[in-house]
Amino acid sequence: MDKLEVKNLKLYYYTSKGVIRGVDDVSFSLGPGETLGVVGESGCGKTTLGTALLNMPTPPGKIVGGEILLDGEDILKLTENDLRKKIRWEKISMVFQGAMNCLTPVYNIRKQMMETIQFHREMEKKEAEERIKKYLNLVGLSEDVLRRYPHELSGGMKQRIVIATALFLEPKIVICDEPTTALDVVVQAQIINLLKELKEKLNLSFIFITHDLSTEAEVADRIMIMYAGKVAEIGTNQQIYGPQGAAHPYTQMLMAATPRLHQRVDNLAFIPGTPPDLLSPPSGCRFHPRCPQVMERCRIEEPRLTEIEPAHTVACWRCFHE
Amino acid sequence: MNIKGIKDNFRDFWGEFSKVKYGMVGLVLFFIFLLIVVLEPILIPFPEAGKRWRDITYWEDNPKNAAPAWTNWFTTKKLTPQSILDDPEIKEKKAANTQVLEAVFKYDYFYDVPPIDLILRATGKGLINMVIELERPDGLTLEVTKKSIKLSSEAPIRVSLDKEGTSMVGEFLKSYEDPVILQGISMSTVKPVEVFFVQAQNRLLDNPVPLKGEYRIKLTSVAVGSNSFLKEPEITVAGRVFGLMGTDASKRDIWSGVIAGTKWALLIGLLTSAVAVVIGVFYGVTSAYFGGTVDQVMMRLYEIFQSIPLLPVMIVVSAVFKPSIWTMILMMCSFFWVSSVRTVRSMGLQIKEETYVEAAHALGASNRRIIFKHMVPQLIPYAFASMALQVPVSIVYEASISLIGLGDATIVTWGQILHDAMQGGAVLQGIWWWIVPPGLFIAIMGMTFAFLGFAMDTILNPKLKTR
Amino acid sequence: MSEFILEVENLKKWFPIKRSLGELLRGQRRWVRAVDGISFKIKQGEAFGLIGESGCGKTTTGKLIMKLLEPTDGQIVFKEKDVTCLNSEELQEYRRGVQMIFQDPYASMNPRFRIREVLSEPLYIHKIGTTEKEKMKLAAKALQEVKLTPPEEFMDRYPHMLSGGQRQRVATARTLILSPSFVVADEPVSMVDLSTRAELLQMMKEVQHVLGLTYLYITHDLSTARYFTDRIAVMYLGKIIEMGSADEVIDHALHPYTKALIAAVPEPVSGKVGIIKEVPIKGEIPSAAEIPQGCRFHPRCLYAKPECWDQEEPELFEAEPGHFVACRRYKEIKKDSINEKVG
Repeated sequence: MDKLEVKNLKLYYYTSKGVIRGVDDVSFSLGPGETLGVVGESGCGKTTLGTALLNMPTPPGKIVGGEILLDGEDILKLTENDLRKKIRWEKISMVFQGAMNCLTPVYNIRKQMMETIQFHREMEKKEAEERIKKYLNLVGLSEDVLRRYPHELSGGMKQRIVIATALFLEPKIVICDEPTTALDVVVQAQIINLLKELKEKLNLSFIFITHDLSTEAEVADRIMIMYAGKVAEIGTNQQIYGPQGAAHPYTQMLMAATPRLHQRVDNLAFIPGTPPDLLSPPSGCRFHPRCPQVMERCRIEEPRLTEIEPAHTVACWRCFHE
Repeated sequence: MNIKGIKDNFRDFWGEFSKVKYGMVGLVLFFIFLLIVVLEPILIPFPEAGKRWRDITYWEDNPKNAAPAWTNWFTTKKLTPQSILDDPEIKEKKAANTQVLEAVFKYDYFYDVPPIDLILRATGKGLINMVIELERPDGLTLEVTKKSIKLSSEAPIRVSLDKEGTSMVGEFLKSYEDPVILQGISMSTVKPVEVFFVQAQNRLLDNPVPLKGEYRIKLTSVAVGSNSFLKEPEITVAGRVFGLMGTDASKRDIWSGVIAGTKWALLIGLLTSAVAVVIGVFYGVTSAYFGGTVDQVMMRLYEIFQSIPLLPVMIVVSAVFKPSIWTMILMMCSFFWVSSVRTVRSMGLQIKEETYVEAAHALGASNRRIIFKHMVPQLIPYAFASMALQVPVSIVYEASISLIGLGDATIVTWGQILHDAMQGGAVLQGIWWWIVPPGLFIAIMGMTFAFLGFAMDTILNPKLKTR
Repeated sequence: MSEFILEVENLKKWFPIKRSLGELLRGQRRWVRAVDGISFKIKQGEAFGLIGESGCGKTTTGKLIMKLLEPTDGQIVFKEKDVTCLNSEELQEYRRGVQMIFQDPYASMNPRFRIREVLSEPLYIHKIGTTEKEKMKLAAKALQEVKLTPPEEFMDRYPHMLSGGQRQRVATARTLILSPSFVVADEPVSMVDLSTRAELLQMMKEVQHVLGLTYLYITHDLSTARYFTDRIAVMYLGKIIEMGSADEVIDHALHPYTKALIAAVPEPVSGKVGIIKEVPIKGEIPSAAEIPQGCRFHPRCLYAKPECWDQEEPELFEAEPGHFVACRRYKEIKKDSINEKVG
């Protein structure tokens, strides 16, 4: 069993201007073979959350509280050495945002993949080569890309290579940060299909981070909506995208603001205002200045994440009343 | 950009700059140099040092190759330092046709080795009779000399007590020194001033014991004639150690030379680097912006300039024309602009591709507007940094040219002082105070601007910036 | 006056590829055919969408129309005047009428300029407004038009002090200040957060109605194109392969490439997690330096028959009223796909 449980995770950035609460009191769980989608606008802390799960916050960020339990073991208590040997890439790996554009242009793919694999685990060259080939086949690439250089490959191929690299050491959990953002629609669909296939074949758990609700609908079993470093809502695909609709006003409005291809709409909805400055977030519910259903209580008291129906938790005062 | 914008930018820049320690050190040093330039008249004892550096008469009262005065701290035998007694007690009587002036100079002597000379300087006119007496701490009074001078117009008077005192010293010695010894000595080898400052006893020539205490030098002058007078008497004690930095073989005060050279170093450094960088920036930007054939031609021209070694060219030019600081600056400007071109061009090529430049094109902006409004302002930080880094190069170049003797003869620069030191054999004779100060000043000024340049580079070059 | 504000006829932009020494000696030349002969007409007051994947030449087309690039061949007619070749005076005049909004609002503004300077730049260039006060008045008016109120609050800020949506508004205000009649919008919302994207598009629409603007909306995003535009043209490898009203093209696509694009777009509806989506297309987009013979889409087309690569490239023709397509076999394909659905 590879169950990931995150409890009250806090990651703050200590900048010269003050403390930015990048991830503030986030709790969720991820079952084996499950895909959790993390959705939010830029600056809501979704990428920060990804790095926190590997216990490698980007400076000046620091994890200041909470637990990340992997099979019951808190990885935040492990030493850097143990993390590198036992956790990162061995159990949890990550496809970083824009990683496909970070391949070194001067080395061929073989060398780059080889280096990654040997950095994380000591392995015979031959064994490593075998493994590389196996995973290249899995992501739908032929072996002759090994001789090529990054500039000779298309965006889709590079993204496949990055995904293959993340799978080398057979982790059970893969964090994908915006894996399809820079890609064209057709390639995007292909990559999404690939991730679905991999999930089936290898029984992987995914954490799929994106700003795009539409993509999330296609991949995620459960969806976590983040706003200003906090969790707004967690629900199953059906609960969020189903006809009954999401519960949190933010999710509802995001959904309404998403243009649909097969419907002609004359006026798309939008959320007025801008996301808050995390240096001085608003009091009470962080969404209240932009919320159309705001109540007096929202301004003063912060709503806690509460289950409103099985597997569906929301942080909104409105939802508790009804 | 309006004034408020500039102010804001400056405040941001300052905020960052003040955090860079070596930058602050550089800034402090730079202000010290500026202060030196401003306060030059106060700082140097020889106000005309810069102008009359090569005028031997200007320096004649000084000792030759004298070490700095503070070397006394490290020796057991204290040498008399150079000093000027310019505050005598003056009693003046004016009768119908005569002016009687009595000036008493007090001199505290507490050294082991007496001065080289005592020199009386004054201004006078007409027939002047002078009597100079020396009252020693042991109560003896010596009449050093009696002298009459006739000056047809107002002119300076210079009396060396060492020269004038020879006959008097002969008398003095006769009363105190062992006659046997005295017989074996030619009076011309005795230096009167050395005798003034020793205890009156036997064997005072062989084994002089310094007589310490307050000496009084009394000058009585009687100027005869209706317009005759004597005024502003002062006495220079020509010491064996001299000022802050000693003197050179031509009796020049090195401190004055170094301080007077500061303004030239700053001028050469700042002017050359400013002109060179401005040319370089515009050259590079133009080349980058227009590209194509213009770029090709400009880059080839740049390469030609870059591959000509400057030093030989400057030597030839200085040898052919009369060496002047301005031709030197001109020459350096016309070669140093190359140093910033490459970087500026590559930065320009980058900026040219920015969307906002394209947006400006789409708005219909002219080439000139794009270059001056969008490209050049981005390069100003770099320009400042490279200017600061260019300053020491220019100073060293000038020093090199001066060192081989092709400097501007009308001014004094650090390089020229070094050149004279080399010629005067300062190294062989161990006259370190002739070499170290100008060398140190060149090094410190270089360091100042290098610090400033690096600091600006760190702040303004985003690639070097770490959060 | 003609109903069309902009007419583009057989427009081409070929970029030369740096030649190797061998090619140089043999006198060979190779080209990247970024835009390879496109023709379209944009009606007065409409929003025309140009859609395609990256590298299909849509941005190049926009720059050709903006006169930021010189076309290799073809003709651009703006308000019945040939603007393909202009002298600098005419160009200045043309640029008052045709403006552009760039994809990245942050990059398109000089980071050292305050909003006040960003907005007054076009006024200085075109010598509009005599006094500083007059210029500021115009700038304030433009900010109000894009709903950045009160304008004084924004004037003294720098671009980095604004949110993505606000920046794009300022960029829009800058183009509107010259009161153009035609605006090229190159992916104006792709770098803006979802929550404000719709707001921005709505603002652009409102401005269009108030000022009677015509838009050329360049994007890769079919969904916003459907929302924002009246007619769209789909580009593939430098050619338009389908053109028609936005609803018609998206709901009843004729060209297999358009169909593939539409099929690939994700929709925010539940119940698709377990399903592997069928995307009716093969392989990846080839390089614009090596465009396939015959129909340029044939190597990726699931319906390609020998006639597609043996015969000449199909031209864009009117298959249905107002709906153009460049495919020989569109009728058969239509039948095929209907059969498939039935089957």
